[in-house]
Amino acid sequence: MLVPTIGIEVHVELKSKGKVFSKAENNFNASTNTNVTVLDLGYPGTLPNLNKEVVNMAIKACLAFNCNITRSMHFDRKNYFYPDLPKGYQITQQKTPIGTDGYVEIDINGEKKRIRLERMHIEEDTCKSIHTEKATLLNFNRAGVPLIEIVSRPDMKSAEEAMKYVEKLRETLLYLGISDVKIEEGSMRCDVNISVAEESSTLLGTKVEIKNIGSISNVGVAINYEIKRQSEILEKGDIIHEETRRFNDKTMSTIAMRSKETGNDYRYFPEPDLPYFHISDEWIKEIEDSMPIMPEVLRSEYESLGLNEKNRNTIIASKAMCEFFEIYKNDMNPIILSNLLTGDIISIMNKNDLDFGDIHLTRENLKSFVNALETGKISSKQGKEILPILINKGGNFEELIKELGCEQISDEASLLEMIKKIISENPDSVEDFKNGKDRAVKYLMGQIMKVSKGQANPVLTGNLLEKELQKL
Amino acid sequence: MSNYLNLSLDEIHSKLVNHEIKPLDLVLEAFDKIEKNKDLNAFITLNKEAAIEEAKKLENVEVDNLLFGIPIAVKDNIITKDLNTTCASFMLENFNPIYDATVIEKIKAHHMIIIGKTNMDEFAMGSTGETSYFGNTLNPWNKTRVPGGSSSGSAVAVSARITPFALGSDTGGSVRQPSSFCGIVGLKPTYGRVSRYGLVAFASSLDQIGPMTRTVYENALLLEAISGKDIKDYTSSDKVVPNYISHLEKDIKSLKIAVPNYYMSDAINVEIREKIKEIISLLEKEGCNIDYIDIDYLEYAIPLYQVIALAEASSNLARYDGIRYGHITDSYTSIEELYKKSRSEGFGEEVKRRIMIGSYVLSGKNANIYYEKALKIRRKMVDSFKKVFETYDLIIGPTNTGVAYPLGIKVDDALKSFYDDLLTIPVNMAGLPALSLPVGFDQEHMPIGMQIIGNYFKEEVIYELASYIEKTLNLDLESGKQC
Repeated sequence: MLVPTIGIEVHVELKSKGKVFSKAENNFNASTNTNVTVLDLGYPGTLPNLNKEVVNMAIKACLAFNCNITRSMHFDRKNYFYPDLPKGYQITQQKTPIGTDGYVEIDINGEKKRIRLERMHIEEDTCKSIHTEKATLLNFNRAGVPLIEIVSRPDMKSAEEAMKYVEKLRETLLYLGISDVKIEEGSMRCDVNISVAEESSTLLGTKVEIKNIGSISNVGVAINYEIKRQSEILEKGDIIHEETRRFNDKTMSTIAMRSKETGNDYRYFPEPDLPYFHISDEWIKEIEDSMPIMPEVLRSEYESLGLNEKNRNTIIASKAMCEFFEIYKNDMNPIILSNLLTGDIISIMNKNDLDFGDIHLTRENLKSFVNALETGKISSKQGKEILPILINKGGNFEELIKELGCEQISDEASLLEMIKKIISENPDSVEDFKNGKDRAVKYLMGQIMKVSKGQANPVLTGNLLEKELQKL
Repeated sequence: MSNYLNLSLDEIHSKLVNHEIKPLDLVLEAFDKIEKNKDLNAFITLNKEAAIEEAKKLENVEVDNLLFGIPIAVKDNIITKDLNTTCASFMLENFNPIYDATVIEKIKAHHMIIIGKTNMDEFAMGSTGETSYFGNTLNPWNKTRVPGGSSSGSAVAVSARITPFALGSDTGGSVRQPSSFCGIVGLKPTYGRVSRYGLVAFASSLDQIGPMTRTVYENALLLEAISGKDIKDYTSSDKVVPNYISHLEKDIKSLKIAVPNYYMSDAINVEIREKIKEIISLLEKEGCNIDYIDIDYLEYAIPLYQVIALAEASSNLARYDGIRYGHITDSYTSIEELYKKSRSEGFGEEVKRRIMIGSYVLSGKNANIYYEKALKIRRKMVDSFKKVFETYDLIIGPTNTGVAYPLGIKVDDALKSFYDDLLTIPVNMAGLPALSLPVGFDQEHMPIGMQIIGNYFKEEVIYELASYIEKTLNLDLESGKQC
């Protein structure tokens, strides 16, 4: 049987304030060619400067992915000619990557599987090329944007594992707060190496690299396509050539881009403009102490709080939602909060195109709201009426429910009074009840709701009504 | 024509302080001298208008330091804002930079006045000045001879007393060798002493900007002005810059000095060896402790240079692709053709040869065979120098194997010109400071240079000895008189 072997190289743009080697701002969305210094243009005489913030971020990633941190590291020049490469070389780390021999764990069929990382290194991004009919245009805002490249070992055996691996990287990097990790926008880029060979064989098959995969689900699509394509070739008795292929998201297939020349000759050598850089124990300790909570920790905590799996995943997948949840989870019923957050709150925000920063929902109001739902002071139906107001306008919860007249009546004495009145006014229904007709109860409940204008606490009322009827 | 620029710096300074002369007098005199010495071809670009304007501005500024208002010539591979910086290459013929090198900011802060950009070997690649796209420079001591290189124009400007000061750059001897050929004082500082920011890179791990001057005292002053930590250059050192001139009058009796046997071998012109021996006995008489010693790995200097310097150069010169600045070919149909034509047309033969060699030694398996091996030997060489400095304060010997030779004789021999740097390259490989000091003349009255090599960041000890020898010899080093 033919089985695939998959390794993945991921490039991640770091969101440091400045570029990795120049003083220019790292903001790709600024107007074209505005975040540019003479260094980014590759001017003669300019020299690179290492931005420490980038090293801090890379150390964070190393710690999160269990890498060994290279204490004495340097940079290397990767030499090649291309218009998007202003200096004629890229500053990267060939010999001394900042991180080595790490791993991440993914869940496969309820079991943990370790995917080993070979290395992680810091490098600079190139210009963004825009190809038009007449010319190729260059945006230097991206030149020198810091990247980390994370290279896995060929430890993945299926599209599912590959997707889980990439998702795990994405989620972790998101929580580290060091990247936007938006695959669709290119702040995270995946290149997949895949080969297929007989399961019994000790040798790996010929490796094919797939580039330009624009989403995590397409990582799976591309891999499955490639497994099928390569298997068919091998089953026909043909040979697979080492090559780079491009994923086409229109046809959902891979297309040959270029064959691998017999080893690209990048003429690597140590970057003489940047000396050895030392990372001390104290430095690592400092970063260790300031590490944010990682998603797997949150996941088990949320499970013990009683959140269902869907809510756990939805909240953790969005850092903004998670931050919101973290602020309030200890202040109110976390299960109700999680239901609200993943349901009504997010849908109201989406409908009004709001961010968490824009909403008027105060801590006090949210707390009162969740408590009111929990104690039955308001019904969930009433909640749906109130919540948009709390989010869009704010105000005072207590006053609001009075204003809207939707405060529930949960006072037993008042409810009993109402119940007794309705029972005495409806002797026929009481008779029906005695004859075992269920609809009698529903009818009486309806009458109570009508009289109370919907404000009677339905659960409490139901219980009291039943008790009164039993007495008769 | 006035002749203030032949006066000592202290004399010029006091005349400026006393308002006997103005900076403008010095500037106009420098331009007069350039005009009179046009045949030397020492300058590529003159900064006349801006220099005059600056000189006039300084009339209303207090004379606040010894370098105030003094004209200086700058090698054309040091970036100057709004003043063309060509590296003597067709590739950058019209390159007008938008920023100043750190050393330029520093000399401007001292109110020195840049007179112009000096001729040089193209991208500092050469030892004769003859690889310049703008034609060769002549040696003012004998106009049929080379001035040395690559800082040819800077050496000539000082030697011919056009400007008292010049900046050069030294990758394998490019300050010291022309200084020696032209009878001036030239220092290659410790690697990291002077910021390289704004020096157009040739070989980044070897390059240093250095002062080229008439006297040791002036050299020390200029070094102090341009030295120091620069946050823009990660390889610059934060070691405190000493007050160099305070060391000039120091007693040299206690100095322990080494003379490498390699520097006094048969490969060195006998007249030069004799001259160095004269100096040695002079120093011994003064009480210096001098030993002849062997330093391991010195003999590998040239192959090391050919591998390391050219490998770095091949990468450093990759940016000249015609896309953002510099020469771009007239017509092309593909990006490949754009690169090939722009670079073939833009670079001269020597530069292309060196880029090819450098690319070769980094290519595929060659990286291991040549480059990695060279780095290992370089480390060994560094270690053997460090060992010497455990015992000795200074190393002395000739700067060059010979004196300035006739123009044209090395143009067709790509290898020969490297051998000019036999005695200077080890210093760059180790990152040490070294100075070339004129110590006499050969029978044809061509200057002979002595090299004084110091320990890391011990330029003041070099100056201490150089100042003593200079004072004792009291040579007449004004080149213009002979021709």
